[in-house]
Amino acid sequence: MKILVCIKQVPDMESRFKPDGAGLWFSEQDLAFRVNEYDEYAVEEAVQLREQLGDAVDLTVLSIGPDRVVEALKKVLAMGCDRAVHVQDPQAALKDPWQIAAIIAAFARDKGFELIFTGMQSQDRGSAQVGVALAEQLGIPSVTTIVAFDYADGAVTVKRELEGGIKGVVKLSAPALLTCQSGLNVPRYPTLPNIMKAKRKELLTVPVAELLHEEALATTASFHPPAKKGGGIVLEGDVAEMADQLIAILKERTTVLR
Amino acid sequence: MKALLICEYRESQLLESTYELLAFAGQLGADTAMVLVGDAANTPRYGGKVYLADAATYGEYNPAAHKGLVLAAVEKESPDYIIFQHSSYGWDLAPRVAAALKSAQVSEVIGIVDGGFETGACNGKMRRTVKPATARVVLTIQAGAFTFEGEPQGTPQVEKLDFAGPANVQFVGYEPAEAKEVDLTRAEVIVSAGRGIGKQDNVPVIAALAKAISGELGASRPVVDAGWVEHSRQVGITGQTVSPKLYIACGISGAIQHLAGMKKSDFVVAINKDKDAPIGETADVLVVADVMKFAPALTAKLQG
Amino acid sequence: MEVSREIYWNVGHVVVLPMYLFAFAAIAVFIWGFYRRTSTYRLGKSLNRFDHLPQRFWLVARNALVQLRVLKVRLPGSLHSLFFWGFGVLFIGTLLVMAQSDFFDLLFHIKFLQGGFYEFFSLALDLAGLVALLMLGGLLVRRFIVRPKGLETIRDDYLVHALLFAILLTGFVIEGVRMAVTEIGSNPDLARFSPVGYLFAEAFRGLSASQLESLHKVLWWVHFFLAVGFIAAIPFTKLRHIFTATANYFFSDLSPKGTLATIDLEDESAEQFGAATVSDLTWKDIFDADACTSCKRCQDRCPAWSTDKPLSPMKVVQQIGELAFSAPEANLCETVTSDVLWSCTTCRACQEICPVSIEHVNKIIEMRRNLSLMEGAFAGDEVRTAINNFEVNGNPFGLAYASRGEWAEGLDVQLMEEGADVDILYFAGCYASFDQRNQEVARSFVKICNSAGVKVGILGKQEKCCGEPARKLGNEYLYQTMAQENIETIKVYGWRVRQIVTTCPHCYNTLARDYQDLGLTIPVEHSTTFIARLLQEGRLTLTPEPFEFTYHDSCYLGRYMDIFDQPRAVLAAAGGRLSEMDKSGPESFCCGGGGGRILADETLGRRINEERVHMAEATSAPLLVSNCPFCLTMFEDGIKTAGCEERLRAGDLAEIVAARLATTSTEETGP
Repeated sequence: MKILVCIKQVPDMESRFKPDGAGLWFSEQDLAFRVNEYDEYAVEEAVQLREQLGDAVDLTVLSIGPDRVVEALKKVLAMGCDRAVHVQDPQAALKDPWQIAAIIAAFARDKGFELIFTGMQSQDRGSAQVGVALAEQLGIPSVTTIVAFDYADGAVTVKRELEGGIKGVVKLSAPALLTCQSGLNVPRYPTLPNIMKAKRKELLTVPVAELLHEEALATTASFHPPAKKGGGIVLEGDVAEMADQLIAILKERTTVLR
Repeated sequence: MKALLICEYRESQLLESTYELLAFAGQLGADTAMVLVGDAANTPRYGGKVYLADAATYGEYNPAAHKGLVLAAVEKESPDYIIFQHSSYGWDLAPRVAAALKSAQVSEVIGIVDGGFETGACNGKMRRTVKPATARVVLTIQAGAFTFEGEPQGTPQVEKLDFAGPANVQFVGYEPAEAKEVDLTRAEVIVSAGRGIGKQDNVPVIAALAKAISGELGASRPVVDAGWVEHSRQVGITGQTVSPKLYIACGISGAIQHLAGMKKSDFVVAINKDKDAPIGETADVLVVADVMKFAPALTAKLQG
Repeated sequence: MEVSREIYWNVGHVVVLPMYLFAFAAIAVFIWGFYRRTSTYRLGKSLNRFDHLPQRFWLVARNALVQLRVLKVRLPGSLHSLFFWGFGVLFIGTLLVMAQSDFFDLLFHIKFLQGGFYEFFSLALDLAGLVALLMLGGLLVRRFIVRPKGLETIRDDYLVHALLFAILLTGFVIEGVRMAVTEIGSNPDLARFSPVGYLFAEAFRGLSASQLESLHKVLWWVHFFLAVGFIAAIPFTKLRHIFTATANYFFSDLSPKGTLATIDLEDESAEQFGAATVSDLTWKDIFDADACTSCKRCQDRCPAWSTDKPLSPMKVVQQIGELAFSAPEANLCETVTSDVLWSCTTCRACQEICPVSIEHVNKIIEMRRNLSLMEGAFAGDEVRTAINNFEVNGNPFGLAYASRGEWAEGLDVQLMEEGADVDILYFAGCYASFDQRNQEVARSFVKICNSAGVKVGILGKQEKCCGEPARKLGNEYLYQTMAQENIETIKVYGWRVRQIVTTCPHCYNTLARDYQDLGLTIPVEHSTTFIARLLQEGRLTLTPEPFEFTYHDSCYLGRYMDIFDQPRAVLAAAGGRLSEMDKSGPESFCCGGGGGRILADETLGRRINEERVHMAEATSAPLLVSNCPFCLTMFEDGIKTAGCEERLRAGDLAEIVAARLATTSTEETGP
């Protein structure tokens, strides 16, 4: 049985971001990279499933991007995937979600994956589209935002996390795609023997041109910092007046007071 | 310009987020129609057309059917925009509609600008203007980003909507939220108590403020260590890392371990006697005051 | 009258043959007893502790003969040492008797146990026996009446006390009975040289000569069998420590304190990292259990045990031995338990005080390596987060690595990557770089250097965590990854980095010692000795301003590096009046932040940092000075949570010195 998990390498969100020269995405200078947090839940769930079903499962991890994503693929291999696919694309950031989904679909279409796991969204772009778009392009059912997963002989049962902490229980049949939310599991820390084994696992490199046959449906016109906050407001003086001022600021600057 | 608004319905209730869709459409300057998979007794206070499909028939969660129903309405209305909430319902359904129509989708829109739609990026630290390349555009809007001014009113003109096709998933039902100890990572507003509150007896004052602003009570590490507040409310590097829309730090100096736990907050208010407290550098608003005087005053104003 | 004594008086030479036969039998049992234990020691991995022989023999001389380590704790130590020397003298006496009667006299008719020498011999043995008896009495009182907390008494203890008393008492009784016949009355001058024997002889005055001779014969054999029984019992009881402790001194770790084995991560054949079973430890780790006498000095000083955590260093050492001898296949980490293993702060108080040179800390780290590297386990979720943060941004806080050098903005400090020409590379470390309170220390240190005309360079955002907390938590892979990156970065600057100075003792130990294994050979110094030197060389001048303080010897500067005096000298030069805490110097009590625990939540027992803060409070000094960012952080926290803010402040040595700089000494001394 074949499983696919799709990951994206994103910058660490603690970084300070600056637009790149073209002003269309962030400059990579001084950025630390990591696996997209939601994709880690996807990987962990896939690896747990692999452990549950034993060696009958072959687990592939795929990522699109420049050569630096190989480091992310290695980490995920060390978590327990069997093989990795690097779709080499130095300009991955300029592809829109539709194109990303199309690239993965082109790879996955003839492979017969029983299950595909992705994160529910990426931490940098956060469009939350690729997973579902991929499923739609492949013509398979999909469920988003899962926080629980169970598999038995092709029957999948998941729980979606809804607003307010409620969960929705959904059943579906494989082949299917699931997008993962935090709380699904605790991603394992790779053990050293697994890190060493990962060095010898297959890493297939595919130039993106071989897989991309779609035009972008949307483009980024500008990537920029939000309007300056004005360096933070300092309120001093009478307590009652400050309370009024604060409430006014909160109404204006947040969506918390209606 | 025409916008088709996709309403949300859960546990037999129409969600109020519907009016945010209306507000957004208003900003767009578009005529509107709505789609609701719900029931006739719970239609929105809205004077336009509502395409209504029966939730009892199709189920509250049935992506294939809901997609088909929305597409049927799209067929009839030919909208330029199809607008969803960026919610567990919207982000699940919108890409399906977009894929079927091969339309551009812009997610979690927070504003309309020249040349496109403004969204967040990098955990809200940056902004991205997205320009759709297709004539018809699917949008999801950020919860709370657009507020309907005034009171919505009107009685809609209802048209029945149908869809015939197989479901590819089976919705089993809802599981109520667990009654568990606090999960601050899901809180939208957190009001945290720090050592500056003075003593354990003062914790209820902060808790009252949290309640008044519909938030959760959090705490900095020394307060939890001292046993004033339970551990599940600890915010910081060894407590919970939180990212609420509003974080109010009461009497917290801003030690690195605490900051690291709440730096991702959208908006930070710090209440501290010390104008030079380190937290002031992270705060959007620093209220220089004795927290035990200011917190009750703020609570009173919020309740009043 | 003859000034000597007839060997084998009364019992006759007929006893010699059976005596030697039984003695050889006892020795055979003795040898076999130890031999059969060696196969268990050999379950462990190999380790060379046979190098530097002269140094090893010297350690045996210092510790076994002179009992220096035992005497570190004065009262019980003296009881033991004096007993040991007393018993030792008696043993030598017996050997001398044997040498004369069965060798020198027998073959060469040479008798040396006569005349003045015999008088000295007799007196010495009597006094030795008395001292031994009295000390044994003292030890018995301590164990059975005073009952120090935590001192376990087992079957062996009853047996050994009884056996030793019996041997000593029967020895004196035999002497007394003999003297009653051969000396009292017939050779009273000689009797003076056996004062204790004399007293015993007086007690048997009433018996007739033939009664005395019968009693003597019986007691002689009783005493003999007790003695050979003693010899035979050694390997099977606690008495084995006589030899295992001595051997342990010989097998001491001669490498610098805190040296850990650097795992070869290129070795693709390695399947097990760290210790999951006793066979993954070294033979020395198993042998240590045999040297342990359950004296509990380590346990008494363990900051974890003292705050009601389940870690007892003594128990861990013994559990390894118990498993090795009874169930070597068992999972060591599960037996010891994670709670115990994660509680250790690697403060080394256990190892410093252990009278038999047991090495506690590395066993714990080897087991932690198994937990970290083989199981991906953590001391807590917050530790997992910190480890992930190290991997992404090179610091435990998860703050962007690019901002690491920002603390230095506006200061007279140069970035190495800007081509700086510097005197020292200041390795700031994670806390000084990112933590607000500790950034003050970094700034103070720079100010001090400026004042002394020392040009300071920093790596800024090129610097990563030195890797120490990860290493101490068992994550050798992450440690080596970060260490290699730091070393490569430093090497890029080649000759321009002549010396590295750091304000963090953990970075100091790691760069100065651990990094040697990975190829860094540049001299590394801690700021306290660096400042001390600047003062001594006159490059730095202070305007002392009086202050009262107490000083905390941080574990990684004190016990690990033996730096106790220089910081005190610096603080005195700054105008400080020191009130020492009870537990200071090598007996300093950990702040709780070592062993990677600075990253962890303290969920078991009481808080170590509060415990230490109370000790500082007890001195009545208003200021607690330390020289480590972990200590400073723990004390700031501890003072708050213990509610002592009104009475006590925490400060760092660098801050105190920086506040007392004589203005611009560079102007006075010139470039």
